[in-house]
Formats: sequence, structure tokens, C-alpha cells
Amino acid sequence: MPLKNTNVVSAYQTKFGRLDGITLREIFAEAVDGATNNAGIPKKDIQAVFVGTFIPEMLVHQGHTAPLLVDYAGLRGVPATRHEAACASGATALRSAVMAIESGIYDTVLVASAEKMTSVTTNKATEALAAAADDEFESSMGLTFPGVFGIAAVAHMAKYGTTEEDMARAAVKAHKNASTNPLAQFQKEITLEKAMTPRYIAWPLKLFDCSPISDGGAALVLTSNEKAKQYTDLPVKIIGTGQASASMNLCDRNDLTAFEASIAASREAYKMAKLGPKDMDVAVVHDCFTIAEIIASEDIGLFKPGEGAKALRDGVTALDGDMPVNPMGGLKAVGHPVGATGVKQAVVIYRELIGDAGANQVANHDTGIMHNFGGTGATAVVTIFRRSDV
Amino acid sequence: MSEKPTIEVYKKNIEDENFQAYKCVSCGRIIAPPSGTCYGCGGTKMEWAKVSGKGNLVAFTVIHIAPDEFQEETPYYVAIVELEEGTRVSARLLGVDPEKPEKVKLDIPLKLDYEKGKSGHTYLAFRPA
Repeated sequence: MPLKNTNVVSAYQTKFGRLDGITLREIFAEAVDGATNNAGIPKKDIQAVFVGTFIPEMLVHQGHTAPLLVDYAGLRGVPATRHEAACASGATALRSAVMAIESGIYDTVLVASAEKMTSVTTNKATEALAAAADDEFESSMGLTFPGVFGIAAVAHMAKYGTTEEDMARAAVKAHKNASTNPLAQFQKEITLEKAMTPRYIAWPLKLFDCSPISDGGAALVLTSNEKAKQYTDLPVKIIGTGQASASMNLCDRNDLTAFEASIAASREAYKMAKLGPKDMDVAVVHDCFTIAEIIASEDIGLFKPGEGAKALRDGVTALDGDMPVNPMGGLKAVGHPVGATGVKQAVVIYRELIGDAGANQVANHDTGIMHNFGGTGATAVVTIFRRSDV
Repeated sequence: MSEKPTIEVYKKNIEDENFQAYKCVSCGRIIAPPSGTCYGCGGTKMEWAKVSGKGNLVAFTVIHIAPDEFQEETPYYVAIVELEEGTRVSARLLGVDPEKPEKVKLDIPLKLDYEKGKSGHTYLAFRPA
């Protein structure tokens, strides 16, 4: 049955990028204030906080982050738990918040997230990111994150004829959409030629196929039907949620051209929402690398396996296309503060559905799907949203 | 060969250029890298198994930017290799030019080898048979 009682009533994203001089807790507090006080929702109404952050232990030398962050953000005493699932930390926090409301335990909760990545060197940040892969059998032989997605790209290219140029088109689209998004890390359009610059990170992936290292935060307030209209005339309902796991090691997957956890999570979410891919007006997918956007668009059923690149080539996934994907610029151009990404993606869907996306507004905006995955797809979460007046 | 396999010994075997897989005692399935539970039957009793060293190339990448520990070795191949025994492993790929990955064909036969890395570790590796 579609979920009935979970409403998103406010959403906020901080600027993403290199936020010099601003610490993790300050980023988090800005996101919290944006989604609560500044959105007309008093902090005293928040009954629990679901925190998404990936690896502050390595990035800012801080564990036990949930109570620390909520205390700094003016929510002392409120129960707070941190959710960690690498790049899917944000969506696992969101999913737990949804389950808490649907269970009836709470009426109003906060999902809040932040990651501070630029306070360490790029090499140290890369090492921290590598902790999301299997240290014993992948990282220890020098397989990197871009490397894992490079392998997926090679498999996809061999099976379906996807090209390096196709992947570059995903980068061009991301930068184009982000050029009108003031919260994005990169706000300049790039040409296809530039996206094809042969600076290989992990062949066939080049510099412009990779999302950047970023700081940033995002937050949402979720509430029950009974309370929703106190906060906004136009809540957005979460009507389906799905989550699945896959092997940590890429070598233990049968099919390298798809991510099985994404497929399983999307099936569960569609089933719960009693909707299918054709009912979606807009999609936000986890484009940590350009090939990841192409594969995700297939895994969640927007396109048949092997047809994601064609959809991109034909402009179907452009802002003004029939099935816009990552209308505000995705991880690729907006940035990827790891633990905040899954919450930021929900902020994008919320803004698109209520018609508050400015220059990045999609034409049809009743129903949206969000796909967030962690590591090399070992955790995947898919969430389906629908405007409450539909 | 009768002792219970452990990850520590699995990795030491690679360092000693004596790669061995896990084998499920219940159903005989060959498993590598190690798992605590058989993917086939759910059995949890494992033993060591020698492998033929024959495999084929499933997919690969060439790492150009690596963590400090590996940067001196770049560019290098990392491949997914399917062993004749059915399991798949991540391994370094030798005997092919890292500057010409477009020449490497998938599905080619490979044989087991090892690579002594500048990092001081020995990696599981394969090269064209």
C-alpha cells in the first residue's frame, strides 16, 4: 500500500563546494535553521532527528556526531541517531525517519545531514572515500572508487555500445543544469570537447566524469497528516520507499552493467507506491560518476537496460526533456558532500514538485523519484514523492 | 589443508604466491574472495581449495590517480577475472600496455600470476594465457 502519513513540509540545502572557514557543525546548523525556524517550523516541534553523515571520523576527527550536531543546532535533548551508509547515508536517514512517522511514534521529525571534506588534503579525502569499498579485497590492491565505476563503464560499453562521448554528455548536461543553480559547486557550462579532455582518472573515466570533493549540508522536516497543514499549504507526500543491499565486492556481482541493489530498491518503492516508471515526472539519481547516471536511469526503469545513453543523447533527460534527470545539476556539478547528498536529492525533488525550482523548474511536477546509493552500489535507497494535491 | 580458512591466511597465501580459494564443505562451491557463508547453499564450513589458475577477463579499468600508497605504480590495470572454477576475483592485469586499454579485448583467456608492487605488497594478478 502507498504510504499515507509522511509529508515533507520544508527543505533546505546549504551552498555546496569548498566552504572555507566553516566547520561541520556550522554547516549542519545552517541546514537545520533553514528547514525549521526560517521555514516557520519552531525547533520545539521536532521530536527526533535522523542524521546523515558518512565519515567525520576521518575527515574532521569526530565520532558520535548526532548529539554533537543537534546540540550545536539548538536541539539539545532531542533523540538523535546518525545513519551511515557511505554515499547513501542521507537516504537511509530519510527512510528511517519515514518509518518512524508511519509507525506513529512521532509526528514531526528532522532529517539533517552534513559532510566537511575539504579540511583534509585530497589524498586524505580519497582515502576516506575508499573506506566505502572493501578494504581487504578491493582497496588493498589499489582499486579506487573511480576505478570501480571505470570497470562498470567498460562492461556497459562492451555490452551496449555506450561510448566515452555518451558519458561526457552526462557531464555537459549536469554543468548546464547547475549553471542556473546558485547552490552548485560548479556554475559554468562546459562544452562536449572540454568534457572529453583526456585526463584519465580511471580509464575510461576522465576528470569530467567524476563528481568533486565538497562540503555541504541539507535538511528536511517530515510530519504526519494531522500536523502537515500547520506548516504549509502544499506538503509533498512520500508514498514509496525501498532499500536493498548488494555485495561489497564488485567481483561478487553477476552483472557489472547494472547495480542489482538499485533495481531491487526501485521495485520495492514502485510496488509500495502502486506506481511505475511511466508515472514519474522527474528523477534525481546518484551520479557520482557520469556512467552511474546512465546506469541508474536504467536500473530504476526509466529506460530499458542499455538505452540510458540513447536517452541522454536524444535530450530525453534534459531539463526540458520528457523525463528530466538531475534537473538542478546532480552530484557531478552541484557537488557531493557524501553524507548530505541523499538529503540534498530529496530537497531537489521537494522544490521541483512544489514548483519552487526557479530556472531549473521541470514542466510536469506531480510525482518524482529519487535514487541514492552508497559505495559501489552495496546500499541503494529509492524514494517516491508525490505532491499532496495530486 | 584441514585447518579452517581465515582471511589472514588467504592474504598471506597471495603474498607467498600460493593463491588458494575457499571451498564450501557442504556443496563444493569455490569461493574467492572469502565469504563467511556459501553463496550457493548457505553452508558456513569452508576448506582450502587449489585452483587451476585459468580464468577469463570480465572487465577492467586502468588506474591513473591512486591513493599515495599506489601512486608510484600508476598507471596500472585492475580487472575482474572469472576463474575456471566459477568464482570472480579482482586482480591486477599484467602483460598489456596500460597506455593502450582500448586494445584489450574482454573475454580473453588469462592465467594466474602475481605482481610484486612498489607498495611492498604482492597482488593477485593475471596475464593473457
